[in-house]
Amino acid sequence: MKAENKKEEGAKTGRTRKFKVYREDPTDGKGGEYQEFDVQVEEGMVVLDAITYISQRVDPTLAVRWNCKAARCGSCSAEINGVPRLMCKTRVDTIDGTITVGPMRAFPLVKDLVTDVSSNYEIEKLMPEFKPKEGISSPWRMNEMDVGRSQEFRKCIECFLCQDVCHVVRDHHAAYIGPRHVVKAASLDMHPLDTLDRSEWLTADGGLGYCNVTKCCQDVCPEHIKITDNAIIPEKERSADSLYDPIISLFRRFSKGKADRKQ
Amino acid sequence: MAQKNIAVSRLIPSEFFEPNLRLYSFIFLIAAASIALYLFPVGEFKGYIDPFYSPTILVLPLVGLYRLTCYAYRKDYNRHVFKHPVACPVYTRMDGPQRSYTGETSSLFKVENLHRYFLYSAIAILPFFYYDLVLSLMYSGGIILRIGSIVLAVNAVLITLYVFSCHSLRSLIGGRKDCFSCMANASGRKKFYDVQSGLNAHHEQIAWASLVFIVFTDLYMRALSAGIPLDHVIFHILKL
Repeated sequence: MKAENKKEEGAKTGRTRKFKVYREDPTDGKGGEYQEFDVQVEEGMVVLDAITYISQRVDPTLAVRWNCKAARCGSCSAEINGVPRLMCKTRVDTIDGTITVGPMRAFPLVKDLVTDVSSNYEIEKLMPEFKPKEGISSPWRMNEMDVGRSQEFRKCIECFLCQDVCHVVRDHHAAYIGPRHVVKAASLDMHPLDTLDRSEWLTADGGLGYCNVTKCCQDVCPEHIKITDNAIIPEKERSADSLYDPIISLFRRFSKGKADRKQ
Repeated sequence: MAQKNIAVSRLIPSEFFEPNLRLYSFIFLIAAASIALYLFPVGEFKGYIDPFYSPTILVLPLVGLYRLTCYAYRKDYNRHVFKHPVACPVYTRMDGPQRSYTGETSSLFKVENLHRYFLYSAIAILPFFYYDLVLSLMYSGGIILRIGSIVLAVNAVLITLYVFSCHSLRSLIGGRKDCFSCMANASGRKKFYDVQSGLNAHHEQIAWASLVFIVFTDLYMRALSAGIPLDHVIFHILKL
């Protein structure tokens, strides 16, 4: 049994592994293809190690974006054997067979493994900004029990893997801003000192209704943020409050009428 | 013509018109099960009441809609029935730009926003499951514990856990609030919210467990009323 285990370990590390890496330069119009590389694998090696080995020692024309190699910067997002993952957080010995590495297909390709994720920053500009309560004394004081929920969303490293895996953003090009931005909206909405409710904006302009809660975004998040359970579904419930609940809307109309009469 | 199609897809999503065996099977199973439940009712049998008839089969559509609009089941049928997408890895999704998609924006699926109302009806029905359990325990005049009562008890607990781990309930008890400390009895309500959130994290597993068990309970009761000797008395305290 031990000998079998050793044999298996040997098959995964300490030898040459085959990598298929996507190569395409959109400026030359030739289209893309997967190129095979053999890489000597060491114990504890991650996919990013192999890719940087290729780009530094084998083919310096391979384009790859990376920075911290510690799963903090969110730069090295890619599709590894079809699953959106951080290359720096994916150990080679956890994958059997050939390792296929491609760019995030939800975004326009710049070259090889590098994509243009700037559309996300354009979406962020559209989001209603943080609007604190008026007249609160500085420094702002918040109760610990109120900050926990939005703190979870602050862990986001903007790797945009959730955007890449989302079938609405990726395949259907519907008017949905995507899970990363719902997380951002939820982090602002659940902030105890914020005064806005972004759920109506999320539904009307952000296309929240296109999300069908299939939870792929939650599955791929490297920071283990409960994107669907803690951000998307609570925002859907808030938008049900503001747009779909007949009793709440009656109550709101009644209390608005009362406020108008007082004025 | 194109405008007419858009109007139709706003009302009924185009997925319903795709050649989709899973969808046909799903609709057939639901229809066949509903018809069978109406055609072959199980009356009270030795103090046991089948959960599908508690309090009455007339409320079954509400319970069914509670499950159909539940976020856990939405994930499941959107993945495995509508295939949007079947799985997350990109090679196995069975979804793509060639398929039309309206998500939860079509009129039919907007009903899912009323999940909370089906939750209220599910909470209203819950006590009946416990009432039936007590009835089965008191059946002989004294106190009698039989395997059937244990089945009813497990079923009641699973349904209770399912209802109390609901995402809409989570919103109702505090999720919709930005400031817990501003509410009356803040620490108590936050604790309740935290406990419910812990339960909510397992909502999918609980949803399936309770669905499977309610069917098992129904089959158990039908087997008993058909005369299959499955039930045994564990203890029996006679009335003094």
